[in-house]
Amino acid sequence: MHAPRNETYLNATVGIRSWLLTTDHKRIALLYFAGITFFFFIGGIAATLIRFELLTPGPTLGSADLYNRLFTMHGIIMVWFFLIPSIPTTMGNFILPMMIGARDLAFPRLNLTSWYLYMAGGLITLTALLLGGVDTGWTFYTPYSTFYATGYLILAVFGIFVSGFSSILTGLNFIVTVHKLRAPGMTWYKLPVFVWSTYATSVILVLATPVLAMTLLMLLAERVLHVGIFSPQLGGDPILFQHMFWFYSHPAVYIMILPSMGVISEIVPVFSRKPLFGYYFVVWCSIAIAVIGFLVWGHHMFVAGQALYASLAFSFLSYLVAVPSAIKVFNWTATMHEGWIRFDAPMLYAFGFIGLFTIGGLTGLFLAALPIDVHVTDTYFVVAHFHYIMVGGAVMGYFAGLHYWWPKITGRLYPDYWARFAAILAFFGFNLTFFPQFILGYLGMPRRYQTYPPEFQIWHVLSSAGASILAVGYALPLFYFAWSILRGPRASANPWGATGLEWSTRSPPPPENFATTPTVIRPPYQYVRGEPLMQAGDV
Amino acid sequence: MTAGTIWRCWLTLMLLLAATTASAFVPLGSLNLPVSLAIAVAKALIVLIFFMELRASRPLVRSFAAAGFFWLLIMIVLTGADYWHRNDTRAPIDEMPLPSR
Amino acid sequence: MSDRVLGIQYSTLAQERETVTLGMWAFLATEVLFFGALIAAYLNYRIWFGAEFIAAASLTKVALGTANTAVLLTSSACMAMAVITFDAGSKRAPVLWLAATALLGLAFVGIKGTEWFLEYQEHLVPALNFDLPRYGGIAEIFFIFYFCATGLHALHLLIGISLVSWLAWRIGTGRLQPGGSTTRLIGLYWHFVDIVWIFLFPLIYLAGRNM
Repeated sequence: MHAPRNETYLNATVGIRSWLLTTDHKRIALLYFAGITFFFFIGGIAATLIRFELLTPGPTLGSADLYNRLFTMHGIIMVWFFLIPSIPTTMGNFILPMMIGARDLAFPRLNLTSWYLYMAGGLITLTALLLGGVDTGWTFYTPYSTFYATGYLILAVFGIFVSGFSSILTGLNFIVTVHKLRAPGMTWYKLPVFVWSTYATSVILVLATPVLAMTLLMLLAERVLHVGIFSPQLGGDPILFQHMFWFYSHPAVYIMILPSMGVISEIVPVFSRKPLFGYYFVVWCSIAIAVIGFLVWGHHMFVAGQALYASLAFSFLSYLVAVPSAIKVFNWTATMHEGWIRFDAPMLYAFGFIGLFTIGGLTGLFLAALPIDVHVTDTYFVVAHFHYIMVGGAVMGYFAGLHYWWPKITGRLYPDYWARFAAILAFFGFNLTFFPQFILGYLGMPRRYQTYPPEFQIWHVLSSAGASILAVGYALPLFYFAWSILRGPRASANPWGATGLEWSTRSPPPPENFATTPTVIRPPYQYVRGEPLMQAGDV
Repeated sequence: MTAGTIWRCWLTLMLLLAATTASAFVPLGSLNLPVSLAIAVAKALIVLIFFMELRASRPLVRSFAAAGFFWLLIMIVLTGADYWHRNDTRAPIDEMPLPSR
Repeated sequence: MSDRVLGIQYSTLAQERETVTLGMWAFLATEVLFFGALIAAYLNYRIWFGAEFIAAASLTKVALGTANTAVLLTSSACMAMAVITFDAGSKRAPVLWLAATALLGLAFVGIKGTEWFLEYQEHLVPALNFDLPRYGGIAEIFFIFYFCATGLHALHLLIGISLVSWLAWRIGTGRLQPGGSTTRLIGLYWHFVDIVWIFLFPLIYLAGRNM
């Protein structure tokens, strides 16, 4: 029983209720797209204001208190309401079931519940931030956050707490789906790397987020009841909060990067017309990153007062976690070697990812060294490091995936030259924004400071100039994607000539994804002399 | 799982409960905590293996069950690394008593 | 959790049963880390504060705690009996065993409430009436853990009691037939709440009893 020729998941049923009460993973993905895009731009507005403030050494926009609230808002929104959900809830939701040959996720109603929890949490926190916000930084360190900070901390934290359940349920859904709903013949080693990456991400979502939930509850208990769990004036240990917070928040950064790595692993073979080099290494490195990523959180606390013995252990483990990431970079590079490279927009974003992630990752190794960290911790060096990974890495990966799967999701093509221009603009804007920050940090500029000595101004001006270029690079897709939906040429089932089950069904896909459940006979990325050997399935 | 198994397990759990409470009143010094935790682990394993039917479950289910506890162990051990060694080097101010409020 | 109508994502009933079971175990793993985080924090403070923290535990009511543990372990046995009698095709027996489970759960909550009331009378409730000069700041931190842990556990137990009662109604009115997974899944949740208590019991009640 399959859909008529022109029925897609977009037009199969109409009306607002068919969207808000949908259980179709593809529609839920679009619901998430809307939320993710919204929060990305809110966080981006905060970033714009921050970079504007930092143009002059003294106050530019307002008080230091306003500045504190701005960077807190930027961090909270970008971490919890953009980066963590970004690829898993949009591309994971849409593409993963198709990649494994399934008709939907294991628990579709749970999936919809996840979206509602995400939106509820996001709106609660946004309300808190717009009412006046919080000035603690996104890390909520105690006892400042629990005893001294003014603002809407309880509301903001509660929103994050609610959205945490969205993460947990999504991760749970993906894990169970990958274990139980693979099509016949789809063994683990025939799965595309994006599925492995999303699976690894989901393991982190499921095991780390509950710890955040408990940490935030204890934070709220201390704030509301004025009891001293983490506060030294009442005998508590502020470092305990940091341990609990970072036990989640460090794996969280792997939640943010692993899906992007998965996207890049999909894109590089297609646009090099070559099988992925070292498939087994790449998939097991994804798992290794997820596991070892749980062992390194103390590197955020080297100067916090943690025992030196623990710092040594965490430093060593942090060096270890870089190894699987580096292996992946080598494998992507080896994939491109002697390939037929095409420079479409997805590939340009992938190039950007590989270069910028490498720089970010290397600077992470600098930070893992205790003596260097003592010098540059809490400076712009750290800010630059994580933005290279999160923006140069994760966001580039998000845009790469967006451009790669756009034809499949919408059934439309976008203007390629505008897309390439946006990618290149974003790359240059990004580097101009964040490279000066490495220098700033090394020279001693602290993070989260509104005012600074005049000799730092030149670097801040360069950085802000870069930010304005980066903003254009991020805004451009809004326009050409909108144009593509309204006027863009229709896409075929497989415009990129890629392998993978998602390309064997039409664009946009029918509601049940496949007319008949496909049987998988070949491993992924089977390109021979630049052309794909297609998987079994219907077209 | 049969009724017989269930009630044999129940009896074992009751005996373990009696043992753990009794052992708390025996001065074993720093061993009191490991003993009571070991008994707790034994009780939990009985519930997991018999009542929750891990005995009859596939390896995948067992690995899911184990994963949560294993990850918790990571958290306890690595934070413990800090707290066990926090006082390795103490400054004079650390020797002063905490203010009583 | 409909046992008869198969979702489009499933090809067989057996696949659906295995999938939802796996889903429940994944959920329980998250709960292990949720409660576990609190327990880890407790353990670290126990190492950090040493004797004073352990001594604070002797202020809890070990007789009531032990009784409660016995109550909950028995309720798990009743829940297991409900599962096997329902599997065997009976209708009356599982309803009775489920009722016993829920009643024992309520008994637990009642005993817990009594303990909390006694602790309130003894000025051991942080943020309400904790007698700091008498007991000290470290004891207050112990009791913060005590109330957080037992409060969250009681909340999970109340949810469990609701689920068990709902299940008893479904089976008793004939709305639920054997062959599905609902009973087992609720059983897994109930047993898990029991396991949380199995670990909380020694940490809360059995420390500092021989000092």
